[in-house]
Amino acid sequence: MSPPTGKTPAGEEPADDIEYADPGLARERTELAWTRTAIAFAALGAALLKFRPVVGLLVLVLSAVVWRLGRLSGTASTADLRARLLLITVTTVAVSVVALVLSFLGPGIVSLR
Amino acid sequence: MLWPGAFWPVTYGSVVGTMRPRGRGKSTVTDQPGGRDPATTSTDDDGTEPDARYTFANERTFLAWSRTSLALVVGGLAIAQLLPPFPGIPWGRHVIGTPLILLGCAVSVISYLEWKASQRALRHGQPLPRSRLPQILAIAITVIGLIAAALALLSAVGVP
Repeated sequence: MSPPTGKTPAGEEPADDIEYADPGLARERTELAWTRTAIAFAALGAALLKFRPVVGLLVLVLSAVVWRLGRLSGTASTADLRARLLLITVTTVAVSVVALVLSFLGPGIVSLR
Repeated sequence: MLWPGAFWPVTYGSVVGTMRPRGRGKSTVTDQPGGRDPATTSTDDDGTEPDARYTFANERTFLAWSRTSLALVVGGLAIAQLLPPFPGIPWGRHVIGTPLILLGCAVSVISYLEWKASQRALRHGQPLPRSRLPQILAIAITVIGLIAAALALLSAVGVP
């Protein structure tokens, strides 16, 4: 079976899958997924503010960038999409390196009291 | 355009394109006149543009794994920094927290590679490669959970 094109020619029966008639729903779900990812980054940035204000602010700015990138869903070429997803990956790797350093050198529970 | 694709070097796809998850067999499909193997020589931009919904679904899957990896990193950091130390085992928190952070890092990278592999398969009309992430995540979390249980028991009975 060939993949549907997302376009229903005039005069045909309505498709069972509502997305077949309206592929914009897939785009909307994808934009919401980007929004959730941006919120996750924002929550992480807010948590990092407590340990390292500069790093936390940087992650908060990145969450705004991620949110903005989500608005571009479906408008970019494959190369652009790949660059956007690579940005997420690189950011997560960088954040995990920071987390690793903080977990050994961070202030610990004593200074948080 | 906020993030122009031209920013990345042309050779990028040919470098990372060979780093695919294991379990994906070498493709025998050749769609080029020269008999070129698209699975080993292609960038993500050749082939035909798939149905937009499939591209969206692949993108959402990647984003979901990214949030999972972020949660793992944050959880590991919180355990290492916010959890009270195990009585008698001062290094106990790091034994749990560090693997969680490393797991989050690995999930992030693997999910990107799998997104690339899936997108390539979509563009060439090939079967989607099987994701290895559920297996990796299940095994790693099981091991980390067992370590946490052992640490809790050790600190309860007192380290010999």
